[in-house]
Amino acid sequence: MKRVSFSFERVGLIAQNTLREATRQKLFHFLVFLALALVLSARWFREFNFGAPELKFLADFGFGAMAFFGSALTIAATAQLFFSEIENRTALTLLAKPVWRSEFILGKFFGVVVLVGLFCALLTALLMAVLWTRERELMREFADAYPADGHIAYLQVALAGTLQWLKLVILTALTLVIASFARSQLFTIVTGFFILVICHLQSIAQVAYARSESLLSRAGAQLLSWIFPNFQLFTLADSLDAADAWPWSHYGRILIYTFGYTTAACALAAVSFRHREI
Amino acid sequence: MAPIALNLFPQPTSSPAIELKNVVKDFTIGLRDLKLRAVADLSLSIPAGQIYGLLGPNGSGKSTTIKIILGLATPTLGECRVFGTPSDQVEARVNVGYLPESPYFYRHLTGRELVRFYARMCGLRSAGLEKRLAEVLAWVGMVEAADRSVGTYSKGMLQRIGLAQAIVHDPQLVILDEPTAGVDPIGAAAIGELILRLKAEGKTVLITSHLLGQMEELCDRIAILDRGRLILEGSVTDLVGRTGRQTFVTESLSEAELAELRTWFEARGRGFESGEAPRARLDRIFLDRVGKSSSP
Repeated sequence: MKRVSFSFERVGLIAQNTLREATRQKLFHFLVFLALALVLSARWFREFNFGAPELKFLADFGFGAMAFFGSALTIAATAQLFFSEIENRTALTLLAKPVWRSEFILGKFFGVVVLVGLFCALLTALLMAVLWTRERELMREFADAYPADGHIAYLQVALAGTLQWLKLVILTALTLVIASFARSQLFTIVTGFFILVICHLQSIAQVAYARSESLLSRAGAQLLSWIFPNFQLFTLADSLDAADAWPWSHYGRILIYTFGYTTAACALAAVSFRHREI
Repeated sequence: MAPIALNLFPQPTSSPAIELKNVVKDFTIGLRDLKLRAVADLSLSIPAGQIYGLLGPNGSGKSTTIKIILGLATPTLGECRVFGTPSDQVEARVNVGYLPESPYFYRHLTGRELVRFYARMCGLRSAGLEKRLAEVLAWVGMVEAADRSVGTYSKGMLQRIGLAQAIVHDPQLVILDEPTAGVDPIGAAAIGELILRLKAEGKTVLITSHLLGQMEELCDRIAILDRGRLILEGSVTDLVGRTGRQTFVTESLSEAELAELRTWFEARGRGFESGEAPRARLDRIFLDRVGKSSSP
């Protein structure tokens, strides 16, 4: 009997096909268009800056758009691209070939990861262009208040965009876990959004429960922090100044954190999908 | 036309192509844990090199049986082997090609890209891949439409490109679930010819269809399922042939000649059941006429 080993080539083929299908979807075009429009129009919302310096406000606005639309795109695209294979029965033809179920899961995962990577790269590039243009205008207007090379460390902006993408990589893997056993796309999307909220708020809950007298509450908070990743760790828009940059080792830790959660979630999705009847 | 055999994954021929032993498949319905038995104690042994028909009304368990054979569903009880390998192992699918019922493929790909995608999924590498694609597309008669998007294909074309993806890796077993469903008679006849050519090349073909006439023409053996149970199995010749009866076909006889013939039979103690003008089959007339009018 010819042994069929796990193949990264097959994973790549499924990912390529997933990405190609995703970029043809109207939902993707719509969300990209909205996010781009929001970043471009940030200058006209300067009146609502709540006292923050203008360039900081522009960056916050851009990263806010990236986080909001990126999360929506990640959850919707993962659920849609997974369930379209099941509901259209293309998964029948694909899984009737000598293909491991884990290859299918990883193919879907990498397809969405590249998709949200393109989204984040596009938005980060646009945000950098908006910031650069406005900074140059302000430097001409208030030459005394700005150093010759400006305030903004553009590497920081690029890194903040990368961190947004890493966060969405984890969210993709978590949504895939839900999709691997869920019976409907709607359930996957709704649960995906719940998980997104928990991941954003879990650090607050942890702080609140850590002060609690109850051992049960503290244990619960600890358990929550182990199960769900803390998405607050991926926020790097407090300062755009190079002087406030995080040390590289910190980025390394975040990379390991992302890799750990992603690997665990993908493994869980593969195990759950292994015995699913198509 | 170039021979289709590629023999990428040779298999021992001693094992039956498919073997099901006392397979039971239950589905759970609703929250009350109600069980629906889709396949009940099914045992089948399908020898290699034959065209085997799986017949039955809707809901008789044909598609569930196929899913079990392909490892897409797990039997509740019993076991299923493909060329001796348990069907739940990935290795069991190395030598299997599958065309699902009413196939839906990635609409954004062209026919050629689609078959290339599945060929690469089966491990075909670039060296012989393009040659193989050209062979298979010619084999199913899809060369001219190969560079059109799959989304623009008719049902017959979808079935043919589906057949191309099913055989691109030269499997020894080809499973076709309703390959002629929704296809016009010309398309159905063309698919029938392709199935016969697969058999001529030594492949095993498992086929389900509601076109019983076509199944009778194509299959060596058939099994009939009803509500998940096997109710009849055997070779088509044994099942449809009527022993102790004989048919003669001759030129038209007059009433007087018929009476004389009847007397001749009665004198020998033989019954004369019927004498009628043979009828041409409607599908043959259709294929003849439409084939002629569409030929250049």
